[in-house]
Amino acid sequence: MSLAPFPALLPALPEIFLAIAAMILLMIGVYSRQEQSARIVSYASIVVLIITLILVGIITDGRTLTFGGAFVSDTFGLFIKTLVLIASSATILISRDYLIMHGINRFEFPVLIVLATLGMLMMVSANDLISLYLGLELQSLSLYVMAAFQRDSTRSAEAGLKYFVLGALASGLLLYGLTLVYGFSGTTNFDSLTKLFTSEHVDVPIGITIGIVFIVSGLAFKVSAVPFHMWTPDVYEGAPTPVTAFFAIAPKIAAMGLFIRIMTGPFGQLAGEWQQIIIFISIASMILGAFAAINQRNIKRLMAYSSIGHMGYALIGMAVAGQLGDTATRADGIYGMLIYLAIYLFMNLGTFTCILLMKRNSRMVENIEDLAGLSKTNPAMAAALTIFMFSMAGIPPLAGFVGKLYIFQSAIRAELFGLAIIGVLASVVGAFYYLRIVKVMYFDKPEEEFDQPVSLEMNGVIIVTGAVTLFLILFPGPLLMGAAAASAALFPG
Amino acid sequence: MIIQTLAFYLFSIITIVAAVMVISARNPVHSVLFLILAFFNSAGLFVLLGAEFLAMVMVVVYVGAVAVLFMFVVMMLDVNIAELRQGFLQYLPLGGIVGLVLLMELAVVAGGFVISPEVSERFAAPIPVPSDIANTEALGNIIYTKYVYFFQAAGIILLVAMIGAIVLTHRSREGTRKQRISNQVNRRPEDTIEIKKVSTGSGI
Amino acid sequence: MYVSAVFLPLIGSFIAGILVFIGANTEPEKKKNIDQMAQMVTVGAMLLSAVAATIAFIDVVVYGNTVVIKVWTWVESGSLKFSWELRGDTLSLIMLLMVTWVGSMIHIYSIGYMSHDNSIPRFMSYLSLFTFFMLMLVTSNNLIQLFFGWEGVGLASYLLIGFWYNRPSACAAAIKAFVVNRVGDFGFVLGIFATFLLFDTINFDAIFGLAEGKSNAVITVFGGEFHALTVICLLLFVGAMGKSAQLGLHTWLPDAMEGPTPVSALIHAATMVTAGVFMVARLSPLFEYSDTALTVVILVGASTAIFAATIACVQNDIKRVIAYSTCSQLGYMFFALGVSAYSAGMFHLITHAFFKALLFLGAGSVIHAMSDEQDMRKMGGLYKLIPVTYVLMWVGSLALAGIWPFSGFYSKDIVLEAAWGAHTGIGYYAFWMGIVAAFLTAFYSWRLLILTFHGESRADEITFAHVHESPKVMILPLVFLAIGALFVGILSFNFFVGDQAAEFWGNSILILSSHPALENAHHVPIWVKYLPLFVGVAGIALAYLMYMFAPELPGALANGFHRTHHFLVRKWYFDEIYDRLFVKPAFALGYGFWKSGDGALIDGVGPDGIAATTLNIARRAGALQSGYLYHYAFAMLLGIAGLTTWFLVTMS
Repeated sequence: MSLAPFPALLPALPEIFLAIAAMILLMIGVYSRQEQSARIVSYASIVVLIITLILVGIITDGRTLTFGGAFVSDTFGLFIKTLVLIASSATILISRDYLIMHGINRFEFPVLIVLATLGMLMMVSANDLISLYLGLELQSLSLYVMAAFQRDSTRSAEAGLKYFVLGALASGLLLYGLTLVYGFSGTTNFDSLTKLFTSEHVDVPIGITIGIVFIVSGLAFKVSAVPFHMWTPDVYEGAPTPVTAFFAIAPKIAAMGLFIRIMTGPFGQLAGEWQQIIIFISIASMILGAFAAINQRNIKRLMAYSSIGHMGYALIGMAVAGQLGDTATRADGIYGMLIYLAIYLFMNLGTFTCILLMKRNSRMVENIEDLAGLSKTNPAMAAALTIFMFSMAGIPPLAGFVGKLYIFQSAIRAELFGLAIIGVLASVVGAFYYLRIVKVMYFDKPEEEFDQPVSLEMNGVIIVTGAVTLFLILFPGPLLMGAAAASAALFPG
Repeated sequence: MIIQTLAFYLFSIITIVAAVMVISARNPVHSVLFLILAFFNSAGLFVLLGAEFLAMVMVVVYVGAVAVLFMFVVMMLDVNIAELRQGFLQYLPLGGIVGLVLLMELAVVAGGFVISPEVSERFAAPIPVPSDIANTEALGNIIYTKYVYFFQAAGIILLVAMIGAIVLTHRSREGTRKQRISNQVNRRPEDTIEIKKVSTGSGI
Repeated sequence: MYVSAVFLPLIGSFIAGILVFIGANTEPEKKKNIDQMAQMVTVGAMLLSAVAATIAFIDVVVYGNTVVIKVWTWVESGSLKFSWELRGDTLSLIMLLMVTWVGSMIHIYSIGYMSHDNSIPRFMSYLSLFTFFMLMLVTSNNLIQLFFGWEGVGLASYLLIGFWYNRPSACAAAIKAFVVNRVGDFGFVLGIFATFLLFDTINFDAIFGLAEGKSNAVITVFGGEFHALTVICLLLFVGAMGKSAQLGLHTWLPDAMEGPTPVSALIHAATMVTAGVFMVARLSPLFEYSDTALTVVILVGASTAIFAATIACVQNDIKRVIAYSTCSQLGYMFFALGVSAYSAGMFHLITHAFFKALLFLGAGSVIHAMSDEQDMRKMGGLYKLIPVTYVLMWVGSLALAGIWPFSGFYSKDIVLEAAWGAHTGIGYYAFWMGIVAAFLTAFYSWRLLILTFHGESRADEITFAHVHESPKVMILPLVFLAIGALFVGILSFNFFVGDQAAEFWGNSILILSSHPALENAHHVPIWVKYLPLFVGVAGIALAYLMYMFAPELPGALANGFHRTHHFLVRKWYFDEIYDRLFVKPAFALGYGFWKSGDGALIDGVGPDGIAATTLNIARRAGALQSGYLYHYAFAMLLGIAGLTTWFLVTMS
């Protein structure tokens, strides 16, 4: 038996670069002086992530496969990877103050983010059930560690443990689903699966269907969709705030990317089987996200429910993509979803940066009441937070409105009226708690001022995200074009 | 053939029973021991499949390293088993029903399993005939070529696990003595040895 | 010219309105200047407007250049097309001339009358705004623009009645006027809809052109078929009844006297209340084709004339007497319209505008002199102290009573003769009602004069010592109006209803040959011609008898016929009946809706209910989040088990 040929590495160059860079960063961290290491590695990590972003841009050229078809590089991946890399590098940028303040300013933190990001890129590029699982586990494992990063805090440790145990359970479900699919089809490769389901088997074996149910459940855990969302509020609250910020953004987007890829790719023709689940978890997430957030007093918990709700809205797009028939309509659903995710990135990044600025006398405060009268003590931050809240509530002309508009539009075009109506109603309820924050900031009696001054990086992040949120409606061109190209890549022809 | 079948069922049954015992044993030490039993029997199943290498790795790594590590941990932590079991009975009926329903459903699914004739054609990498090629060679042929991606990815996952373990548990305590090789190398007799003239019979 | 005549008051109103804000927070000396500026601007705008209107009048009426000026396009929606257009024909211009000149006089009068008020710019602004809307109304070329003006004057009327908004009675009166008018306006709006339904247009020329062809058309309402034009005319007439305070919808007018006296004179005597009369005259080409509608107009008009006159005889508030008198005189105008003597109705409208404005302003002068006392029982013996006002009131009363040669004589005569000349049962009814009302008119006019100016003073001493003649700025407009009351009738009789009428009116009024009442009016028996004058003199004589020579007689009569007296004092119980029939049930209904409908049902189920449910759900959702790991894991297992079961069930 001869040796199999060695696969081409070029399509995976960004991931390879990132993996090697992560190890080099680790070495730098270990061998540089203790007090300097965290700072050096942090900034180096940002540089590495940016170089990766550039590499992704350069490498991506149509659809290329490598590693025996286990890895795919395409325009869709480019879009999601761009969002993920932006989110990761911004998270490193905004986390430094917090880490220093809590005495956990260690170089492993950026390294773990880089490794998690690597996992996310692998997820997005997965074209095989095994690479899907490996990418997901790499990401998850990094996140488990990060959740417990503030190890001296029991809340952080508890968050890490909860996330780990439940994540393992979800991984188990996912893995079980993967084995079912493999067992009933005999292949793990996405392209083979696609071919299999489009051609011969009209009646799908029940094992495949149940396998899909398990896979959806496992992935729903990763995007924290109801009923697999239970970990989210506790982990968001317990984990260190920068970690929460990271959790809320990058892994969600990456998992959604993976979700989209597997659902529209190999299982694309089986949409009849899975559309109902997606509709169900979408509705459940929207409703729970809207209602459960109302009573929250801790802003991180509130953001947890908010992100559950947002994932529900994004899943509407997936449900649309599950409407068998017109390819253009299905692509439209993904198109809306991608726009939604991109906007979600900026809104959340800005909001979490504001939350990271909520410190008083060198202590973090996390309650909504602590924002009282912010408009008097810190009008600029209050204005920024107001923009983000209005945007999340989906009030025109802010970016969040654009996202919701495209999502609901696609649902209506696919004649999923119930979904669109529930979505609109849920966003009305959801607006309640977003606007409550605005009310607290503008109409309540001022609390003590937050600590000043604010670091340059955080100011920059707020200004950039705020500007994107505010002015996206004026210059939506690049985002719309990118999303259109990305969604078209999934539905060739 | 009949012996193989008998062996398969023996190993399988013991594996499943041992697995059940792992989670139901009252004493955590017993749990770990049942885990080791399950591992051994899995290794036996691998042997039946002709995968001796995996069987050996199973025994060496899981039984020899992982399970023993578990054992140490369990014994050191002295887990209060009664506390962990609190509420177990309270939730047993409901949990049991749900579990049972799920189990039956999965059995239905498994019942529908058929090996379709085309499946073997789709196998990405057919299992080589054991007599043609040795286990290790077969693995070696593909693991760094066809499956290099998976292999490396798994490696990185292990790296993360290692980093995680260090991050979460490693503490530099005051007063711990560390070996600094450069210090050792750079150490010169003048720094440490003081030569004193001692006049005989007077003591220091 | 025409455009500037209409829009100058609006500009004046705007500037005065801005001055309200400028003057709001300035010190008294500066405020004085601002007040003066507001007065100058609005009065100046009004006078210019009046001059422009005169020039336009000469151009259109004397030289016969009927015009339609398009200002701009308003609506073009399907077949519904109409523009802002100023219609310039005789009917419009008579009204334009009257409104601008009487309006100017009242603006000038207001300078004096309102001199002690705090909100002069606001008052002047409202007054000018009213004038603009009124001009818009009379110059409209389609029903919507007419309705715009109609609602505009309603708004201005509301603002001006409630001008002293810190008096609860003024606010209540303003609301009453607005609400009662709403009833009429509802009919009006329905009428416009029906017109559009029938004609597919709402422009006057188009409607008038089509009216004859549609004279037999039917319209289906609630399953029954009705004569279309009758339905339209009756609906529109309901609107006219509201605005012109005709029997049934008259209750707001007496209460509207809560407003400042110039307002009463301008809006509630001379102009706005005549809008209904104008509207019917304007729509004569429609009303002519519906005898039923015309009969209703006569019936309502004649009944109002007698009804209001009876009440006027027993009122003690000087302004209320004149208000009921106005109501009664409007009744005359309507029955004149009803017998197709549109020009006679318009004639009475114009003469009435002068002498009624004169009477109101005179009454205002008296009130001014009496330090805002309006009750006639507390007056008396004023004629020596305010002789000019006394003389002017005499002139107004003589005109009102229809004594030769005052203008009221000419117009009232022709109205009554036309009613006789209709030679129909309803026409005779109108005639006799009119004669009785004329008698009562003379009676209550002199009752007013005698109670106010003659006899012993019944005022307290401080007030009496304070009585003074009004300043020139108030007297001058009165003189102008008195001249109008004296000469308008004699001068314009020929043009309105005499030999030159046909030429004068041009095409602005249509009278079918089957309705020859006006023609017959010139050939009535001699006793018909002189009966009005005779009853007028008789009424005056009776008043002198009862209040001058035998002052104990009224009291004795009131006691003798106390039921009748009470019936009249309580104004035929209209307010009480409406209160019982509509206001109380409406309040009860509103209260019920508020408490049970809005409070319990809509708020309970709607906002409050949703909010409560939301919070409830939120609490429950929060309770699910127990924090126990095994709960979470169990929830996940439940989820996966549920989904699997769902799929297995639906698949098989």
